[in-house]
Amino acid sequence: MSGVELLLQPSVLPRLLSGLWVTVWIAVVSVAGSIPVGLVTGWLMTRRNAFVRFLMRLYLDFIRIMPQLALLFIAFYGLARLWNWNLDATGACVLVFILWGGAELGDLVRAALQSIPASQYDSAYVLGLSTWQTYTRIIIPLALRRMLPASVNLATRIVKTTSLAVLLGVVEVVKVGQQIIDVYRFRCPDGALWIYGAIFLMYFFICWPLSLLARHLERKWSHD
Amino acid sequence: MTEFAQSDLSQSDLSQRDLAQSDVAQPSLAQANLARDTSTRDASAQASPADDSDKPALSVRHLTKTYAHATSPVLNDVSFDVPKGKVFVVLGPSGSGKSTLLRAIAGLEPIQGGTIALHGDVIDEGKPGRLTGRSKRASALRTRIGMVFQSYDLFPNKTVLGNITLAPTLVLKRKSSDVRDEAMQLLERVHLADRANSWPHELSGGQRQRVAICRALIEHPEVLLLDEITAALDPEMVREVLDVVLELADNGQTMVLVTHEMRFAEAIADHVILLEDGSIVDSTDDPKEFFTHPQSERAKKFLGSFEYKRHDSQPASDRS
Repeated sequence: MSGVELLLQPSVLPRLLSGLWVTVWIAVVSVAGSIPVGLVTGWLMTRRNAFVRFLMRLYLDFIRIMPQLALLFIAFYGLARLWNWNLDATGACVLVFILWGGAELGDLVRAALQSIPASQYDSAYVLGLSTWQTYTRIIIPLALRRMLPASVNLATRIVKTTSLAVLLGVVEVVKVGQQIIDVYRFRCPDGALWIYGAIFLMYFFICWPLSLLARHLERKWSHD
Repeated sequence: MTEFAQSDLSQSDLSQRDLAQSDVAQPSLAQANLARDTSTRDASAQASPADDSDKPALSVRHLTKTYAHATSPVLNDVSFDVPKGKVFVVLGPSGSGKSTLLRAIAGLEPIQGGTIALHGDVIDEGKPGRLTGRSKRASALRTRIGMVFQSYDLFPNKTVLGNITLAPTLVLKRKSSDVRDEAMQLLERVHLADRANSWPHELSGGQRQRVAICRALIEHPEVLLLDEITAALDPEMVREVLDVVLELADNGQTMVLVTHEMRFAEAIADHVILLEDGSIVDSTDDPKEFFTHPQSERAKKFLGSFEYKRHDSQPASDRS
């Protein structure tokens, strides 16, 4: 059986797509969870209070220094067992990706807030805008413009990193691919190339539009 | 500190106010400004316009300011009055406190001593302990002073029209259609009506600065502060901005301005003060005399810094 025939087997593509669904689900939930965590973290990072800033710095550095895989293992094999926590593999993945995405997004929020010149606050003050109006009409829209391109890129990184879930035994698209390759090992010896090729294209078609979007946003708002 | 003659001020006020109320076909910037007295002045001023016309539009008394972590004050016991409709020019070498003075009047810098009053209403009082943060003055009070900055600082997420109409609709709660009409009139006066829907980044520096002036004027500020508004502009754009300012002066807009354009200062000033190290070292109602025949040594020295002369310019016979 050739590789093309393997892909055209009635069960193969639907199974890959159901695996892809798990990948997309983990990614979407992780990105959605990262947004509130990131906004709060970023806001806390710009506070004057030295202790709050220290805590946030510690959080960000810890998450950044650790490989995501190590974080996944700590969460799944370490903490969940230690605290006798009923955390399944998918839950552990989502938790780690939210903590990671939240920290990275928080740093983007911090940088965006700090990059807005003080003169924008001055102008708003002189015109009589209240603090709330200044933030909702000027500062937050400007900060969003500055951080959105990088945030969309962060989302693509989260999508790609979900493939690590396979090492916790989550049956997402890479795991499904491995299973199919195993089943057809003897009937289709070069199946791996075709299956992984198909998975590559699936990731590509999820991440590519995001990447295009990021580039488009960057160009659109480059002048701010 | 000086007061200057206000003999026929109230007279001219009255006539201009009449103009403002009758709908004259040619709208002018000054009319828009004076309209405030009758309609939109909702802030703390209780007195009728006739009563406060004898009080200076802006009155600064014993203003003292020290920056946090600084040893000496940047402004030291500065006092002056700006009568309504007059143009007050602040000169001084860099670091003398000119910009800080304007920022303190606008409420952007806390002051540690003295008072700032608009038409007799004290809007800010020095608090010795407060070194950072903006003044706590209310939104409505802040709209009574307009300010234009060196770096234009238009809001990049709003169009030209959006920049101008934002504060009147949000802060003064005026009807958006009225605000829009007035904004278009202002833009017409500064020759930018065709750019109403442009984004700030699509405009030249001079155009942006003219929009920034409109954005300040639409709130009908009792005092307009201009902080080196042409310092960041290419020479050919300076003119288009200063022409607008000259027209404002002709129309009776009270202004305090800091500038390095000496010939412009000479042309527009009703009164000049010279700041040095945070203190007023010279003050005159006679700008022509100040610029052509400066009396004080400090004024001579300051104005001399704008003159250029080659060191070898003496006649050849003098050389050995």
